[in-house]
Order: sequence, then structure tokens, then C-alpha cells
Amino acid sequence: MSVSLLVPILFTGVSLSAIYILVALGFTLVFGIMRVVNFAHGEFAMMGGFALLFLLDRLAWPYWLALPLAALMVGVASLLPERFVFRRLYGQELPSMIAALGLSVVLAEGGIILFEVHERSLPSAFSGLIHIGGFTFPEDRLVVVAIALAALAAFWLFVRFTRIGLALRTVAQDREIAEAQGIDTRATYRVTFFLATTLAALGGALFAQIYALSPLMGQVPLMKAFIIVIIGGLGSVPGAALGGVLLGMSESFLNTFYGASVAQFASFGAIILLLVLRPWGLLGRPEG
Amino acid sequence: MTALLDVSRLAKRFGAVQAVERLDFQVEPGEILGIIGPNGAGKTTAINLISGVIRPDSGRITFAGQDVTGMRPDLLVRRGVVRTFQATTIYQERTVRENVRRGAFTTAYRGFWSTFLGTAGARAAARRAGEAIDELLSWLGLSEVADAEARSLPYGFQKVLGLGIALAARPRLAMLDEPAAGLSHDEANHVAEVVRRINREDVSVIVVDHNMRFISTLCHRIVVLHHGAELATGTPQDVTRDPRVIEAYLGTQH
Amino acid sequence: MMTTRVLAMSASAGVSRARWAWLAAGAVALLVWPLFVNEPFFLHIATLALLYTIGAASLHLVLRIGHLSLGHAAFLGLGGYTSALLTTALSWPFAAAFIASGLVPAVVALIVGPIVLRLRGVYFVLITFTFGEVVRLVFTEWQSLTGGADGIFRIPPPHALLASKRAYYYFALAMAVACVGVVARILASQTGRFIDAIREGERLAQSSGVPILRFKVMVFAIACGLVGLQGSLLAHFITFVAPGAYAFNESLNLLVMNVIGGMGSLTGPLVGAVFLTALPEFLRGWVELQRFLYGVVLIIVMLFVPGGLVELGRRTIALVREPEGRDA
Repeated sequence: MSVSLLVPILFTGVSLSAIYILVALGFTLVFGIMRVVNFAHGEFAMMGGFALLFLLDRLAWPYWLALPLAALMVGVASLLPERFVFRRLYGQELPSMIAALGLSVVLAEGGIILFEVHERSLPSAFSGLIHIGGFTFPEDRLVVVAIALAALAAFWLFVRFTRIGLALRTVAQDREIAEAQGIDTRATYRVTFFLATTLAALGGALFAQIYALSPLMGQVPLMKAFIIVIIGGLGSVPGAALGGVLLGMSESFLNTFYGASVAQFASFGAIILLLVLRPWGLLGRPEG
Repeated sequence: MTALLDVSRLAKRFGAVQAVERLDFQVEPGEILGIIGPNGAGKTTAINLISGVIRPDSGRITFAGQDVTGMRPDLLVRRGVVRTFQATTIYQERTVRENVRRGAFTTAYRGFWSTFLGTAGARAAARRAGEAIDELLSWLGLSEVADAEARSLPYGFQKVLGLGIALAARPRLAMLDEPAAGLSHDEANHVAEVVRRINREDVSVIVVDHNMRFISTLCHRIVVLHHGAELATGTPQDVTRDPRVIEAYLGTQH
Repeated sequence: MMTTRVLAMSASAGVSRARWAWLAAGAVALLVWPLFVNEPFFLHIATLALLYTIGAASLHLVLRIGHLSLGHAAFLGLGGYTSALLTTALSWPFAAAFIASGLVPAVVALIVGPIVLRLRGVYFVLITFTFGEVVRLVFTEWQSLTGGADGIFRIPPPHALLASKRAYYYFALAMAVACVGVVARILASQTGRFIDAIREGERLAQSSGVPILRFKVMVFAIACGLVGLQGSLLAHFITFVAPGAYAFNESLNLLVMNVIGGMGSLTGPLVGAVFLTALPEFLRGWVELQRFLYGVVLIIVMLFVPGGLVELGRRTIALVREPEGRDA
């Protein structure tokens, strides 16, 4: 394979991976810490896209301010369902999952009622091309990759070096031990949900920038998050990173050489195999 | 010699932990065998291995002359090997009678189609099982609470109900995992009495516990486990006098 | 698990005389009303509702063995496509195609069942979800056979006599009674006793000699066969099949019928199927709003009435009978 072909494929792979990890990270966090399979996760990504559109288009805010604020707005808004839906169902895996299914329908249909169902594009903040060593990269994609990587780094630093991050890790390890140590699990859940939906919203905003924005777009990021966490291990943060890279890269390659449907079949085949042979994923822990 | 159950060189490792190592023992027909040892000695693992819940890494289990190593639990039940669980494992939200009826799968269930069509054979089997269960309930002293929800029973009764579910399968060998754990002295005596009565009905019994007094008054012979291996085997008198046992087990526990 | 908790709330042991009276009255009503109301709109909805009772009841069987499937529509689709292809491309008579439309999903379930039914809890949910997506992709991509995203059109009615809405209604009624009857019979038989035992205490049931996996696979295959039959009846009723009709939303629909109706007994999915089929048809003017409300109802049921409409009805009756009794 020639380098001229390889580099663009790799670059697409990296940008897909970065967005996928952003979305999958929150999904896996919510499961790992709260034991909730958040079927509404993709809708929070969708909301991120619409929040960004609102800030850029209606309020004409500069991009660098609008993007983080859009993500934070969604994160704050998500505390409502956390408080009034999920908190009442903690510890009940299937009821909380069914409620999340309901929430997903509510948010997507609410989006349709508010914004109409059609797809639209975000005003592009960057439209130039950058040439590096004989290769041409679209500027907006480079920005997406840079932002995603920065967000992932910030997340890592937060979890690794703050008190709240420590609490998160402890609860993820063992909830009972965490409670015995005096960690407020409810507060931890709240932070987790906030972080997860903020990351999803950021991922969704970037996703909408590259592809398109619509109230029903949430299904795609959710599907990707599913695939990634099954590959990496439901609840495992490093697993989400690994799964995101694997999915992003393989999609980029398979899409280029075999087309989108082959790529889809391949990822479904891979996760069915994994679920059968190793349901806890590549980096997850088997459950008792 | 025709032992009912013959366990030889049984071994099982979980990761870095050798849970059971070269375990050897026999159960004679009509015997009550005690397996005792401190926590982590491998008692429950031994039961799980014999009942087919987990597969041994090596070794051989023979029941009634046939190799049953690694056989699925439901097939072992058909051959007459049943077990109970350490925790009170019962169907909490069902009546006592329903609990025991669910234990009678091997005798009452005649396959999907005959129960679906309600054939005469299936109905007769269900009726006979129902009668046998009423008898079993009165035999266990549970007749008066037969229609009560299982979770409403006192703990001791729940333990006996657990036994009843196992006995409904008409076993030849019953393996009881800590049948007296968490019971008061009187309740434990009641359980011991039930075990003796089971035994008089020609059921061989393995009792696993860490309470030496309970085991030594109940069992004909005792196997002492230590770190997954057999430390001593013999009558209660022999075992309790064995210096190795006293040092390894009694010495540290009492 | 929740299913355990909710299911245990109604131990439906024997069928009382009062219940037979209700059943008889219901049967008469179902048989007689179309003679007075020959309105195609109502007949159409009623037929759909009847057909969906089959799928909802069959998913109830899967829930009863303690597994929550989000891929049940895949089997609905397998039945629909089987029947559609056999009657159009190969010109099979309906009766043969109908039988095949039950057998194909059942055989597929027999193949995938032993693999997927080993998975518990959310892992089973995820794998059935994925399976549903794969099947939908196959329907879409295998264009030479399935007609791709457009699907298969002009599926003939099962019989010339069943071309009218009213005739099809009676046909659907008979089929629904038969299929739901099979589910009811299984649950009321000894098999049902051990199905419940498996859900409530798998380890314990296994140590009583119940072959867990075989039981689960058997029940799963029967359930998938039944929903396949619905797929056939539905395809010949609406005269087309298309991949979009068997996507995740349809699986969710079948699940929600169970959730909203109540997972405690077979009555739940029947009530849920009728409710969820009829309601949207009457809210036609507000399509977005009806989907929105559907989500809201789902959340509310999970939060406040985990036993669904059946529990709600029971509470209401209890409240009417003895208004003071708090814990009726």
C-alpha cells in the first residue's frame, strides 16, 4: 500500500477514533460507575450539536467559546434526568435501562418537535486546507482531532489528579468499599453523569460538524459507543480508548477499500464474537 | 470395595489459588460423612466440583461405580446426587409447597410435549409428585406452613426448606453445604435430627461445616481439609485427637 | 433482577370461575362487534392489535426465562420475509409458507440460542440488540433476495376469502387466540413452573436437575417461532415487508408492550399490545407528540408503576372496593 493512500486513511481513522472515544467514554463511565446502560447517551450527543448550532448561529458566539459552552450546557441539563429519573432507579440494571430507552425517545422526539426532523449542517468555523509534507488535510478535521485529544487529556488529568477523580475511581472499583470510606456515592453519580453527558455532547458537536445535524442523529454515536464498549469492556475506561481506536481505524480502512456496509458487518461480527467468547471485552473484568 | 462416591486426586486452581489439591475420600452407602476445615480450606469448592457446578483441573469422581467427573449438575441430579447451598437458597416469593414442588423436577416432569398436551402419564406423574411432596412436607415438619410464603419463615425453617427442595429430587447422596450456619443451638439440633432421619431412609450424606461440635456429633466419619488438601480422615474420636488436626485447625480456631 | 421482582407480584396459579366468565364475555365481544361496526379503520386497528398480541406474548415468554431481548423484531422480520418470499417468488400456498414462517425463526433461534442464552443481564440485551441490527442489515443488503431497502411488495392475501378487512379480522382473531393460547398453556403447565424456577433461582433450579440451557433454548425457539407467525400474518395483512419495519424501534415496541402492560403475567403484554397499537392510530394527527408521549409513559411506568397497566388496574379496583385499605 502506498504512503499517499495510507496517510489520509490513517488521518480519517484518527479523527473518527477521537470522536468515538469521546462519546464512548461517557457511556462506559455511566455503566462502570452507575451500572446504568444509558440508551439516551446518543441523544445527549445530539443535544450537543444543537446547542452548538444555537450558540454559533443565533447568538453568533465565537467558535472557541461556543463549543465548550455547548457541551457544558448539555451536561448541566442532563442533571435533570439524573435527579428525577436515574436516581430513583440506581442499582436496578434493567429498569434503569428501560427508563433510559424512554428518555432516548423523549429527547429525540422532543428534538423533532422543536427543530424539525431534517438534516442540516453547522456553519463551518474552519474551511481551509493545510498542507503538511505533501499531504493535504482539511482544517476543520484537524481542529476536531485537536479538540478531542485536548478533551481526552483534560479528562485523564481530572480523573487521575483530583479528589473527585479519585472518588470516581474508587466507586468504579467497589461501591461498598467506597461508601465505607465515606465517599458520597450520590454526588459521585451526579459528577459521573455530568462528565459523561458533557463529553458526549462535545463528541456530538464535533460529529455534527463533520457530518450532519439532526434530531435523530443520536442513534449513530450510540451504536458506535455500544460497539466500542463491547470491544473494550463495558465499564472500562482504557477499554473505551482501545475500542475507539480499533473501531475508528478499522472503519476508515474498510470504508475505503470495501465500502460502508462491509465495515458495518465487520464491526457487528466482531462484537458478536466478543460477546460470545469474552463478554467482558478486551480490557474489562469478568463479573463474579 | 464399593463406595457410593469415590473422589480421587481431585484438584482445582483459581488463578494463583490452589483451592483444592489432591483431594481423596470415599462415601460409603448409608454413611454420613463430615467435611470440615477452616474458611478457605476448599470445602465449598469440593462440593461445587462434585456437583458439577465447576470442572476439576484433574482427578476423578466416581458415583455408584460410574465416572461422573465434570458431569453437568442436572445430569448428576438424575443419577441421585443433590446439593444444598450455604446461603438459604430458596424461592423467596413462593409458598413452601411450591418450593418443594420445584425441587421434584426429576420425578414430576415428563418432557415438554406431554406436559403441554396434558397426557395421562404427565398428569399421573404430577399427581404422584404432589402426593410425595405432601408426605415430604409432613415428614420435615413443614405441613403447617405449606401455604406460607417462604420468605416469611424463620431462618431455621428456611434452612429445612432448602433441605426439602433437595430431598424432593429423591437423592441417593445429599451434599449439604453448612446446613447449620447461622442457626441457634436448638435449630441446629433440629437440622441434625432431620439429617439423621434422611440418612435412615437410605440416603448417604456429606455435611460440610466448620463447626467441629456439630459435625462430630452428627457424622460417622470426618475428612479434615486444610489449604485445599486432605489433612486427616477418621471417626470423630480419632480426628479430634489427631495432633495435626489440633494444631492446624482446632489450635488456631479455639 | 427486575423481571423477577415484577413477575413474582402475581402468582397466577389457577384460573378462577370469575376469570372464565370474564374470558367468555371478552370472547363474545371480540366475535360480535364487527357485525355491528363494519368500519375499515377500526377493523384495521383491531386486526393489528390482535396480531401484536402474538408478538408481545411471545416476548413475554422470553422475559419469563429471565432474559430481556431487544432483538425480537428480527424474528418477526424473518417470519415476514419467509412468508413473503415463499408466496411471491416461489408461489407456495399460504398454509405452507405460514408454517415455514414459524419454522425459520425457530430454527435460527435454535442455532443462536445456545450461544446467546449463556449471557446474562445487560450482555444478553446487548447481543440481541446487535443481532437485530445484523438481521436488519442482511434484509437491506441482500438485495437480490429481499429487494433491499424497498422490501417486497404486493404480498397476496392468504386466501381469496380473506381479502376483506372483516374476514382478515376474524382470521387474525383465530390465530391470535391459538398462538396466545400456546403461550398460556406453556406457562400454566409443569413447564411454566420450571420456567419460573429458572428465572427466580437459576442455580437452585439447576441443582434440582432442571437442564437450564435446554429449557431456555426451547422456550426461546418457541417464542421466536410464534413471533415469526405474527410476521407472516402481518406481512399478508399490510401486503409488504421492508427492513425498516423490523428495526430496533419494532423490538423496542414489543418490549414496551410488555413493560407498559405489565410483566407480571400474560395479561400484561396483551393489554400492552392493544394499548400501544390502538393509541397511536387514534393520535394520528400528532405523530411527533405521540412518540414523545410514548417515551414519557415508558419513564413514568418504570418510576411509579413497575407492574404496568395491569398493576394500575388492580390498584384501582382495590381502591374502589375498599377505599380505606392502603395495602390492598
